[in-house]
Amino acid sequence: MRTTLPVIIAFISGLIMVVSFFLNPQTTFLGNTEEEVLQWASIIGGFTLLLGVVSIVRVNSKTVGQRKKGWLFNLATLISIFAMAIPSILPVTSQSNFGSIFYKVFPESWGSLFGTAPGSIYDWLFNYLDSPMMATMFAMLAFYIASAAYRAFRARNAEATLLLLTAVLVMLWRIPMGEAFLRLFGDNIPGYINTYIMNGANAAVQRGIVIGAALGAASMSLRIMLGIERTYMGKG
Amino acid sequence: MGFWDKLANLDRRWIYLSVAISVIFPMLFVIKFPVEISPEARQLYNAVESLPDSSVVFLTFDYYPSTLAETEPMSIAALNQMFRKNMKVITMTTIPLGGPSIAERVTRMVAEKYNKVYGVDYVNLGYKANYVAVLKGMGSSIESIYPSDNRGTPLKDLPLMNKVKNYNDIKFIYVVADNAIVDYWISIVNAQYKTPVGAGMTAVMAPKMYPFVQAGQLTGLLGGMKGAAEYEELVGVKGTAIRGMDAQSLVHLLIIGFVILGNISYFVTRKKTGPGVMK
Repeated sequence: MRTTLPVIIAFISGLIMVVSFFLNPQTTFLGNTEEEVLQWASIIGGFTLLLGVVSIVRVNSKTVGQRKKGWLFNLATLISIFAMAIPSILPVTSQSNFGSIFYKVFPESWGSLFGTAPGSIYDWLFNYLDSPMMATMFAMLAFYIASAAYRAFRARNAEATLLLLTAVLVMLWRIPMGEAFLRLFGDNIPGYINTYIMNGANAAVQRGIVIGAALGAASMSLRIMLGIERTYMGKG
Repeated sequence: MGFWDKLANLDRRWIYLSVAISVIFPMLFVIKFPVEISPEARQLYNAVESLPDSSVVFLTFDYYPSTLAETEPMSIAALNQMFRKNMKVITMTTIPLGGPSIAERVTRMVAEKYNKVYGVDYVNLGYKANYVAVLKGMGSSIESIYPSDNRGTPLKDLPLMNKVKNYNDIKFIYVVADNAIVDYWISIVNAQYKTPVGAGMTAVMAPKMYPFVQAGQLTGLLGGMKGAAEYEELVGVKGTAIRGMDAQSLVHLLIIGFVILGNISYFVTRKKTGPGVMK
């Protein structure tokens, strides 16, 4: 039963989505059911986020509790989670049930600090800590890419040379200085790169990848619906 | 150790220093080269420009704060174009981490410039989990997926949303993303509901989208900061992408220079030591 029931649910849900694709959602029973299923999927998606938070708290609390190596980093993670989450879920006004109780204890002027609106604690932490830190991490890539390009991007054989030349041309094409430089060799060079590299070779390869991935996704969906693929239940 | 051997084993800190100087230098001394407009960027601009005034459009903020340098200028330029044409803009995001906050901040900033009123001229729907279900579900009813907006106001209380039920009421979907969500906007929304979709993406994601532009499933494409700069040029907004072009130009040229130098030292040292010795 533990295996059969999920397979039946997966089959029925999948069948509804496939069949309802061809039906009008406003006028048919299956179309309406599809709408219901999608709402369920969205709600379940919300719970999976909660599950993620619970999992992070559990794993990090355990490491902090046992004072394992690097436990201070886990503590920082826990503090960050609660510092962002708690002020954002506290009531902004006393108009809700929870708000009326909350603002009997705390002054109502604190309302502007809570929620996610501009000026709130969450907004401040996001704009002045989270956002710059994420941008910094991403910006560091420029340094590593420059270093990696110097050490690893070698014309060792014909394929590597072709890749290297294409990369150099595209990199030049993607910057105003490079475009001006390419025009020295002919006014149409930047246009040729767009036509033959990006819309030619690149598009052909990407199309192959997209079609391959779509066929793979379709066959995997069929396998799940028919109960052949059961790894999502933790079974082989 | 000879010159080329030293060069082959160059301390990476020199490379890091060169990159840092290439980024900082254009901040102090402006070197402005004209930004040429690609056909894909022009196509996107024309698609929005050709919509009737006061059309209802979707603008998505499907990106994380880490890629703001590339994506935010696209959103700002697009909003300028939309508000200038008095379009009604509905924003949303499929990114839980910061997506709603970025949408709120950017939209409010541009809306103030054009004296646009929240709820009447623009609405921020915010984030809902499970993007496939969200995108598909909005085809039947936006309100069934988003009963309230990002601020918690029920959609029925927002004048703009009283006119909008599902994708049939949306004239154009402008996706700004740093991930594969554009695939779903194309395969679910454009393919099934025929709503035109255009996209602005990070440079690393944009090449994947060229087949969709060719097939007409994607109406225009912006790639990376260059794409954002092209759109700023088209809209006439002198934003951060145009300013960033100098730094990006120098860093690209620097990397090309390093690649050339690295290869010269590779071939010179290989001649001395034989192939396969140098790493």
